Amino acid sequence: MSPFLSSLWSSVGKKAMMGLTGLLMIGFLVEHLIGNLLLVFAEPATFNRYAHALTSMGGVLIVAEWILIIILAAHVVSAISVSLGKMRARPEGYKKKASAGPPSRKSVSSMTMIYTGIVLFIFLILHLNTFKYGPNYTTEVDGVVMRDLYKLVYEVFAQPGYTVGYVVIMTLLGFHLRHGFWSAFQSLGLNHPNYYKTLNTLGIFVALLLAFGFIGIPIWIYLSS
Amino acid sequence: MDRISLTLKVWRQKGPSEPGRLVSYELKDISTHMSFLEMLDVLNEQLIHKGEEPVEFDNDCREGICGMCSLVINGLPHGPQKSTATCQLHMRKFRDGETITIEPFRAKGFPIIKDLVVDRSAFDRIIQAGGYVSMNAGGAPDANNIPIAKEIADEAMDAAACIGCGACVAACPNASASLFTAAKISQLALLPQGHPERKRRARAMVAQMDAEGFGDCSNHAECEAVCPKNISILHIARMKREYLRTIFTA
Amino acid sequence: MKLDAKIPDYPIQDIWDKHKFELKLVNPANKRKYNIIVVGTGLAGASAAASLAELGYNIKNFCIQDSPRRAHSIAAQGGINAAKNYPNDGDSIWRLFYDTVKGGDYRSREANVYRLAQVSNNIIDQCVAQGVPFAREYGGLLANRSFGGAQVSRTFYARGQTGQQLLLGAYSSLMRQVKLGKVKIFARREMLELVLVDGKARGIVVRNLVDGKIERYEADAVVLATGGYGNVYYLSTNAKNSNVTASWRCHKKGAAFANPCFTQIHPTCIPVSGDYQSKLTLMSESLRNDGRVWVPKKKGDTRRPSEIPEDERDYYLERKYPSFGNLVPRDVASRNAKYVCDEGRGVGETGLAVYLDFADAIKRLGRKAIEDKYGNLFEMYERITGDNPYETPMRIYPAVHYTMGGLWVDYNLMSTIPGLFVLGEANFSDHGANRLGASALMQGLADGYFIIPYTIGNYLTSEELPKIDTDHAAFSQAETEVDERVKKLLSIDGKKTVTEIHRELGKIMWDYVGMSRTKEGLEKALEEIPKLREEFWQNVKIPADANNLNKNLEFAGRVADFLELAELMARDALNREESCGGHFREEHQTEEGEAKRNDKEFSYVAAWEYTGDGKTPKLHKEPLEFKYVKLTQRSYK
Repeated sequence: MSPFLSSLWSSVGKKAMMGLTGLLMIGFLVEHLIGNLLLVFAEPATFNRYAHALTSMGGVLIVAEWILIIILAAHVVSAISVSLGKMRARPEGYKKKASAGPPSRKSVSSMTMIYTGIVLFIFLILHLNTFKYGPNYTTEVDGVVMRDLYKLVYEVFAQPGYTVGYVVIMTLLGFHLRHGFWSAFQSLGLNHPNYYKTLNTLGIFVALLLAFGFIGIPIWIYLSS
Repeated sequence: MDRISLTLKVWRQKGPSEPGRLVSYELKDISTHMSFLEMLDVLNEQLIHKGEEPVEFDNDCREGICGMCSLVINGLPHGPQKSTATCQLHMRKFRDGETITIEPFRAKGFPIIKDLVVDRSAFDRIIQAGGYVSMNAGGAPDANNIPIAKEIADEAMDAAACIGCGACVAACPNASASLFTAAKISQLALLPQGHPERKRRARAMVAQMDAEGFGDCSNHAECEAVCPKNISILHIARMKREYLRTIFTA
Repeated sequence: MKLDAKIPDYPIQDIWDKHKFELKLVNPANKRKYNIIVVGTGLAGASAAASLAELGYNIKNFCIQDSPRRAHSIAAQGGINAAKNYPNDGDSIWRLFYDTVKGGDYRSREANVYRLAQVSNNIIDQCVAQGVPFAREYGGLLANRSFGGAQVSRTFYARGQTGQQLLLGAYSSLMRQVKLGKVKIFARREMLELVLVDGKARGIVVRNLVDGKIERYEADAVVLATGGYGNVYYLSTNAKNSNVTASWRCHKKGAAFANPCFTQIHPTCIPVSGDYQSKLTLMSESLRNDGRVWVPKKKGDTRRPSEIPEDERDYYLERKYPSFGNLVPRDVASRNAKYVCDEGRGVGETGLAVYLDFADAIKRLGRKAIEDKYGNLFEMYERITGDNPYETPMRIYPAVHYTMGGLWVDYNLMSTIPGLFVLGEANFSDHGANRLGASALMQGLADGYFIIPYTIGNYLTSEELPKIDTDHAAFSQAETEVDERVKKLLSIDGKKTVTEIHRELGKIMWDYVGMSRTKEGLEKALEEIPKLREEFWQNVKIPADANNLNKNLEFAGRVADFLELAELMARDALNREESCGGHFREEHQTEEGEAKRNDKEFSYVAAWEYTGDGKTPKLHKEPLEFKYVKLTQRSYK
């Protein structure tokens, strides 16, 4: 392995990679949430136009999708490696285990990262299957025939099962981000006494914002349909 | 209450490759002024009189600085009292009739030698990889040649206070040795004396830490919470900066 | 046996420089042909092993703990002295030298102490360059404090963990040499025999404490840095594993043991709380700057301290020593605590403690100021005793802390066995009858970094050292001795545990060879110790076997040696018909109750030669001459 790759694959490199890709994905989620808000606050045509604009970017879209795939893959691969490493590093566990309490940041959220991560990964595939590769309704906006994604979304979330499922999974996303956000800064070496606390508070804020944002939309749709 | 009775569940293991198990012992009339290790001394004296093998556990200075004592008490390295090594933990922290489970530090990097005694030579090898300033006796300039801001010196001292006990590894859900390794890297990264070798040091020490089979750091910060010297995970952040700098700069 | 200190005859300022020039050098290319064994990894051992390896020698370094970093030097709290004169308060090499000789109550060698003061400055430079985070002022320069009653501020410190930081500095240099392949560390090994070939130290036999195997190692010279023997008292501030075995084995092989009775009792330790007590914890003596020492005037007064009115308290140090008060030297403070407890006025459950009261200081300076100064010490006290010293007075009592005696060495730090060098607390050389605060760290590092690297080369080039290997008959014989001893210990299978016997030995030593000694007491000790030793060899019980980790077996071997050393200490104390420093004979005191030296008859180093089991050891005297320091009687009234 080249020195660069081996550094990247070291315990520090791996976690930095995980943190960086995590932050990038949070960025993507924020963008995603803003787009989704059109479902609530705009006309169907506006949402569809937005979706159409995104899918019409051609080469740019393909590149963007590949970048997202690579980011996700790096996040997933390092996560799996950390989890396997964890099992290898303590072959025989404690018969009795306790948590130390503050200043420890160990929490349900930090201890379940790999599980919430796996659920989110499976969810992602289902999510793409439901929407990106779902039924292709069409509509005409300003004389342009385009996919009626708005209709699909409203159709899906009219079903209580889907809505409940999304609420549950987006709650898990909140847990994932609760530890993930500040932890990413720590892993990138960007934590510092002056903003350790702020990062943590911000982490809670980001987790709540994204979780409630993504929970709110299906519920609003369900209730309004 | 001055005297208490206890049930101990102690990890007994004859050798590195032998299977181990928790064995129960009843202790009566334990003074609450005893230290935890003195309570184990009492148990051992009783076992010897009964012709049984005493429980082996590492200890030396018994004043919280040598880092030799290494017990996991009721699931917590060094027991329930914060900022305290096992040797300074006293029995007044326990209740009459309490059951106390005592296990060794568990990690692949700390193989068990016997009972509660583990091999922590991995820590020595991590330091050997670069936890020093490469200078020979005799060549040092006058001590006051390089002024160092008090705040920097104090922060370096915070990191340097590490006693190398390994509680950080024992407490870490991932059995990571990041806090130990970071404490040394951070100390020498803060001080100008450590600067010439900072890149080489960060690379080599992290590589050695990984090679010893310790897990990765997932930022649970259990290490900081059990550290008898309260070493902050902010030193881990500094270690990461030091390391990442080596990847992206020449 | 002939004692020759080999101190060159030059003016004291020039001795070390001229001597260094006269010492033969080893050709750089030849250094790698020499093997040196260093036993111990404390300040002296680690610094010696690292420095010798830096020069190119091949080092085998042994320690009993799981890592070299755990040696008991790590527990030193206060600081390290040096004659830097950074505070501009009039310090100098001469003053440090003078203070140290005087502090040692004129029982150390002038030339050695002068050299110690000379190299003290290099030590600070060395440690700072290693990255030792000494305390600093806001301007970025090193901070100093006054320590142990010194008139100048010459003590460098790293919080209350100076020993730890210095040791970790030496350890880091040592680890670097391990990486470079010049040092091999043998951890969890206990030296049990010195191997002599043609009368020269050529190797050691150790027990691997993990698997119990006896191992042999050869070398061209052996350096012993195995610390002091304070644990002969069972309770001391030493670590549980500190022991005299390596030194004692060497003594029995021909190394003279010097001034064994010189022990230092530290006045401010946390008192014993019960029979189960396993060690004593030191509280920095800086506490006496603000704490007031007192006991009730009435015997057997069991009232709580807060219930005892002011006029029923005896602030005995302030009463007896109006000018020094609570800041009298360690030995005076310790002895007086013993006296009031002997009178039945001691406090606490055991009656073996005195109060150290901060109420006045808190009233005068405010709780905040006291917290800033002593916060961590108060916390430690509360952790151990469960009492809050802000609200109730601390209880303190003296405890054995340091041993000034040790194997006799010449100016080159070589013992009476050629090729056996002894460094740090294990030797006797620099502290005389009493060690000053913050001088132990200085001596350990001076020996290791700046003295042995020069002197050992001279030995190696001057002597014929034919190649030997560990199949040599001397190794086989030493191994057999070790083996038999272990077998014998395990075969006794008696009724008492090692700890029980050790505790009894400790009591004899504390009662009769402790802070205050009498002829009758010492004679009594000389009767009791052999009896106890006899009982040990008849009635000790050691569980399990030798082929495994067996700490009881380790302890048994150490206690067996303590039982022999104890007798020598009592003998030495009986022989020394004077009081000096830490050695106080009640027969020899001034009218004011102060230690009274007898310079005419006892201005010598008492070096004892082992003459065989059960035989009376032979006393050799190395006269001490004082050409530069004027001998005076101490007074603290």
